Amino acid sequence: MTFLERTTDARRFRQWEGNVEADYIYTSGVAGERFFVALRDDGKMLASRCTACGLDYLPPRLFCEDCFLELTEFVDVPPEGRVAAVTMAHLDRRGTPLSRPQVWALVTFEGIRGGLVHRLLVPPAKARVGLAVRAKLKARGDRVGAITDIEGFEPVRS
Amino acid sequence: MRVGIIGVGMTAFRPSTPEYSWKELMFEAASRAYADAGVDPRTEVDSFVTCAEDYYEGFGIFDEFTPDQLGGALRPVCTVTGDGLQGLANAFMQIQTGLIDIAVVEAHSKASDILTLEGIIEHGLDPIWNKPLGGHPFLIAGLEADAFVRKTRTSVKAFAAVVAKNRTNALRNPLAAYAAKVDAEQVLSSAERFAPLRALDIAAPADGGVVLVLASEAAARRRHANPVWIRGIGWASDSPTLETRDWTQAAYAQLAAEMAYRLAKVRRPATEIDFAEVDDRFSYKELQHLEAVGLAKKGEAGRTVLKGGYDPGGALPVNVAGGSLGCGNVFEATGLHRAAEVALQLRGDAGSHQIDGVRVGVAQSWRYIPSATGAVAVLGVGQ
Repeated sequence: MTFLERTTDARRFRQWEGNVEADYIYTSGVAGERFFVALRDDGKMLASRCTACGLDYLPPRLFCEDCFLELTEFVDVPPEGRVAAVTMAHLDRRGTPLSRPQVWALVTFEGIRGGLVHRLLVPPAKARVGLAVRAKLKARGDRVGAITDIEGFEPVRS
Repeated sequence: MRVGIIGVGMTAFRPSTPEYSWKELMFEAASRAYADAGVDPRTEVDSFVTCAEDYYEGFGIFDEFTPDQLGGALRPVCTVTGDGLQGLANAFMQIQTGLIDIAVVEAHSKASDILTLEGIIEHGLDPIWNKPLGGHPFLIAGLEADAFVRKTRTSVKAFAAVVAKNRTNALRNPLAAYAAKVDAEQVLSSAERFAPLRALDIAAPADGGVVLVLASEAAARRRHANPVWIRGIGWASDSPTLETRDWTQAAYAQLAAEMAYRLAKVRRPATEIDFAEVDDRFSYKELQHLEAVGLAKKGEAGRTVLKGGYDPGGALPVNVAGGSLGCGNVFEATGLHRAAEVALQLRGDAGSHQIDGVRVGVAQSWRYIPSATGAVAVLGVGQ
């Protein structure tokens, strides 16, 4: 048997413990504002359109990554998407083991460049690429205009 | 003008380094490099390049803290906020101007100083679209590994073979932090982390420092040095937006390799390159990167590693020094460590992990989760 794990915990040795205060507000910007207001008020997702390249971007942005045009048109994202990649996370954001794994997915939409990385609201055994899904939104009164207004993606047909 | 590496200095890579501050770690790596090159930094080095990211260091304006421990006080010094190979490209170009004869590149990790590593890596996520969802940042690697498996029909057994190979290779590298006789079964039965990745598929953090001394051909000749030439170097970034980047292949590595091969006049990398050191901080990354840089056909790297093709005695030895799985994840020093290993192999100075008869090698880097940035260097000896 050999060592598979060793300590990386320098707190056991002489040190000075410090922290970096780093609190911010992050502004959504012009394209983000359009998306999050529509998500909050109308319960729908918007993509920004590049008329030159014929591309609709999700998340929407003010600039085309292909031709660098400023994007001013917005279009509705189709309500139904598909799981393009899936993973089961067994650790939470701080690295602590989870009692039940979280399912995460990259969800893409027909005709849309991009998609959303979000929680997939199915048991791990049912998580699979190709699954047809739609966004599950919080109730209208609970939405604040943030990506967390989407609770996750759930199967179109259960 | 040709530019060569005339000095290599590395500390050991270790899970923690309680006796040294990060500056002392740099000082040790630099002292080794200057001894190797026979160079006095106070009188003979014209420029110093360090590579770091403030969040990994734990304080702001990192570049202001660097000159003393490199011998660079009162000299041209700059920091590249990027991987060590990007710093190598910077120093290479500085020498090409003709203003600089000898330049030094440094990168290090003191990851054991970071108490909240997950939080630091999480800071790299988009603060509006991704971070608020509260997932562990490595789920990006899980999603990408899943996309890679599907696109290339690679078996997870190939991931386990990468881990077993690299950690076993590290047994013959006295500088490696995580050398161990690991077999594929141990990998496949280790704890689930971010499916399809398991605990042993993920390189553990390590501390360590790497310093390279570079010289113009004329300066190298004046010093009677026997340089390892930087034949080509390149770097590229895919979209930083998780949602729009290419999830099925490492486009950044392919573009960086094309740039480096163009400069090095390498037309058929698979036949012209003798060995490679590529980023393997998640097991699948080694396979994805080998395909991206043209050393394996799309979908074939997994089958090749299962057949032993990337073993030290295989047709294309890969990560003979142990990679990051065997040596530890040294963050922004990862790419410079790869270049240092390639240089030592080409000089015949790789000790018990030396491969016979190598003339041209490739070092490839990636800027870790959640980036889609990478660099490639082609190094060679002789004319």
